[in-house]
Amino acid sequence: MDIGRAASPLHDRPHARRFDQVDPYLLIATFLLIVYGLVMTYSVTAESRTFTGDPMQFVIRGALWAAIGLAVMVAVAMFDYAWLGTFAPLLYIGTLGLLGIVLAIGQESLGAQRSVNFGGLSFQFSEVGKVLMIVVLAKYFADRHDKIGSPLVIAGGLAILGPAVALVYKQPDLGTSLVFIAIFFGLAFMAGARIWQLVGMVAIAGASFPLIWSFLKAYQQSRLTAFMNPYADPQGAGWNIIQSLIAVGSGQATGKGLTAGTQSPLGYLPIAESDFVFAGLAEDLGFVGAVILFALYFALLIAALRIAFRAKDPFGMLLGSGIVAMLLFQILVNVGMAISLMPVTGIPLPFISHGGSSLVSICFALGVLQSVSMRREAPALG
Amino acid sequence: MVRDEERAFARPRRFIALGLSIVVVFTGLTARLYDLQITNGSYYRALSEQNRVLRIPVAAERGSITDRNGYVLARNIPGFAITVLPIDLPRSKQAGLSSALGAVLGRDPAELDKIIDQQRARNPYEPVKVSAKPVSRDIALVLSERAELFPSVRVEAESIRSYVDATLYSPVMGYVGAITEDELNDLREKGYLPTDIIGRTGLELQYEKYLRGQYGWREIERDAAQREIKTLAYSAPTTGNSVALTIDDRLQKLLDGELRKGVEEDKFTQAVGVAMNPQNGEILAMVSIPGYDNNWFVQGITPEQMASLNADDRHPLVNKAVGDIYPPGSTFKMVTALSALSAGTATRSTVVNVTSTVMTVSGFNFYDWRAHGPLNLVDGYAHSSDIYFYTLAGGGPMGPNITPVGPDNIYKYGSMLGFGAKTGIDLPGEAKGIMPSPAWKLENLGEEWTIGNTYHEAIGQGFDAVTPMQLLNAYAAVANGGTLYTPHLLKEVRDTNGNVVYTQGPIVTRKLDMKPEDLATIREGARKVVTSGHAPMPGAKLPIAGKTGTAEFGESNGKDSAGRNKLGFHNWFVSFLPQQDLPSTEPNAQIAMVIFTYDSSKSLCELCLNPAVGISQRIYEAYVLGNKK
Repeated sequence: MDIGRAASPLHDRPHARRFDQVDPYLLIATFLLIVYGLVMTYSVTAESRTFTGDPMQFVIRGALWAAIGLAVMVAVAMFDYAWLGTFAPLLYIGTLGLLGIVLAIGQESLGAQRSVNFGGLSFQFSEVGKVLMIVVLAKYFADRHDKIGSPLVIAGGLAILGPAVALVYKQPDLGTSLVFIAIFFGLAFMAGARIWQLVGMVAIAGASFPLIWSFLKAYQQSRLTAFMNPYADPQGAGWNIIQSLIAVGSGQATGKGLTAGTQSPLGYLPIAESDFVFAGLAEDLGFVGAVILFALYFALLIAALRIAFRAKDPFGMLLGSGIVAMLLFQILVNVGMAISLMPVTGIPLPFISHGGSSLVSICFALGVLQSVSMRREAPALG
Repeated sequence: MVRDEERAFARPRRFIALGLSIVVVFTGLTARLYDLQITNGSYYRALSEQNRVLRIPVAAERGSITDRNGYVLARNIPGFAITVLPIDLPRSKQAGLSSALGAVLGRDPAELDKIIDQQRARNPYEPVKVSAKPVSRDIALVLSERAELFPSVRVEAESIRSYVDATLYSPVMGYVGAITEDELNDLREKGYLPTDIIGRTGLELQYEKYLRGQYGWREIERDAAQREIKTLAYSAPTTGNSVALTIDDRLQKLLDGELRKGVEEDKFTQAVGVAMNPQNGEILAMVSIPGYDNNWFVQGITPEQMASLNADDRHPLVNKAVGDIYPPGSTFKMVTALSALSAGTATRSTVVNVTSTVMTVSGFNFYDWRAHGPLNLVDGYAHSSDIYFYTLAGGGPMGPNITPVGPDNIYKYGSMLGFGAKTGIDLPGEAKGIMPSPAWKLENLGEEWTIGNTYHEAIGQGFDAVTPMQLLNAYAAVANGGTLYTPHLLKEVRDTNGNVVYTQGPIVTRKLDMKPEDLATIREGARKVVTSGHAPMPGAKLPIAGKTGTAEFGESNGKDSAGRNKLGFHNWFVSFLPQQDLPSTEPNAQIAMVIFTYDSSKSLCELCLNPAVGISQRIYEAYVLGNKK
């Protein structure tokens, strides 16, 4: 135990020590990914032949969001993440409130109510909700990490998760509700839940798939069947999948070049700036560009994992683990969707998908990670 | 270690598991990307180009067809074709589109559905034509302006074939029509497309290779909503070459006028008239009545129109100048005469004394139409004595010293004159006719040849069957002094700039192995047919030579489907016009002509008046003498 821990979160350690322990790998990967995202924003908007304005407009807007995100990251890092734990019940209520607001006054877009307009900006509260849910569940499991083997603890976690998932699913946003579930599993796993409990839940979910299926909306069902065989209806449900595959594949080794893609600007690739942004990236920059992106993600995730491992307490460890689980799941699903390894769901690709809510939420999460890193016990793993 | 116990919450194995899952996720994604982008990248690159770039064929105009003087007989007028590009049509919208299009185009939606399905299976990136006939500008505008209601529908300019004097020229011209599935399979590599039209019959079919233009193309870039973003490249189509025929429209119309008048006056129900230049085989006119309106086929023939053509038992779709065969009657006596002369069994002065209208051989009676008395070959021909030619062919009591030339010689010289074989004229659907012989009869009927067969053959009855074109061509060979030409309708081919790219010269089928003086004897006889009054030409202004023929054929009672009397008589007059300032036996005729009238009125029989004679006289005089004004 450190002697000098103070009551104030801002003064728990000497400043120098804390800044020493900022994780440089995480920071560098974050910067590079933000820049990569801005480059892709430029490329996708510049090559558009239907958009007549200045593509830099989008880049500037993206840069503004990045600035906000970085400011949030720095600010959050300054605070002891323990405070987040203190306010976890409040954050939980806030999360449910935000998700409720979306349902109540959200703007309809592409058949779903996912964003709330405020002062000319649109916010996707479910993005923030994901990060807040990590905090809430991490706190919940951290407080019970020694009783983690009890089914009651798992059941309690599910009870916390349930309302949020239901609200997100109501939007409807199946993708984000799946992210919530992935976060839960990630946290439960890292908290030390019994493997049979986790496997059992997956088995129950699998067994009740026919029931779940009947709850799915028609378009969600058709997305799943299209995923199984996109060529059954190449102009209909299979269209996105096929066009995305064409975009990715046609990028070949080095891509068609920045702003030189054809699939997204000509409208073959739907929502090219967010859901299918990876296909646009792979088309423009090819295998090389995609592997560079993967390398940055990999560095980011391993750095995050290391922070989690070196965290001084279960809460910090679980915060880091939850963020890793969330990012990994989003990357897997978004990229997997573009290359037909996953069914189509509207999950943004971290840093690359255009959208302020997602970026700021991730920066918030990374700020938390840095906070965990800065306040770790001691550099244990070299 | 204390520290380890304190940090028991961080479970290394779980961290290793999560770390491994990160590795697995990125390895999996990278492997899949490698497969898509590196292994199969070129395949997807091609697909993205196919997505983006559409190469649209730009239709070329078909070349025009003119008569020998440049009078246009077949041309193109602008219209619109409606096509569907299946790749742009979601399956879910196909049924809706078919019914909407069906309503606008007046077609059966189920049929349209099938057409689109077939093209989808064949090549969904290639448009398929759904308009059965060219559509009006109004409909084209509706379809192109309401694109949201008609997804995947394209409106393309299409030139429609238009035939001038359609019914008059249809037997020769034929028509064009949409390419069929089978034809497309055969012709695809020559650049034909499912939207193509192709020559179906007649000259349109015969000279498809000249008339057909070459597609141009336009490469457009388009977005997913099928809007054209820009034209990337363009290659202009090449209009087909134009074909000039040897036909002289003036003569064609003179022939048609005379023959049509005869049909309208119920002198006969069908008629053929062909005129050619005996010196080179050029066809100057070719009329087959009844014809049909070939514009019907181009504009999409209605079931009613098709039914009316099929119900007409005069078979208007057949060009009877080349496509059907008839007994030649007395016109065939030329063959018997030339056979006897060439085989050396007779000369110009071989005499048969026709003392009776009946000749009895082996207990059978063979008749003549008059007891002519003694006739030499020229007179026998001029008066068309049947017994004279029976005797030349098979011998007989009225010419006991005459060696019969026999059916094998007649077959030999008849074949030499082109009978029993296609003339080779540049028209599809030509019939061969029948040049009978003992071998032919044995093979086809399984019977021995009889003397009666020889007698009937000698006067163009029995098994003899010819096309009007064959008969004319044989007479033309006699008129020109012994060259059998392949008749042809093609004069020359010109490219779009008017440069002549091909000129059709005379095509010699064969030189007749006959003596010039024997041919001159026939020409002398042919002239005497007219001058002796057998084929009277009162007030004749031209030294026309020719031979009449009458044949009984088929039903001689009832009416045909056009309501005209069936009389079972056909009349022929096959003639040539020697140049006026030289003796008529010189082989210098510039025009030869056959007139054939089907189901001629009995009152106009050979004994009284062969309608073909007067018709021929009027045509020659109007054409030759009228030419000078």
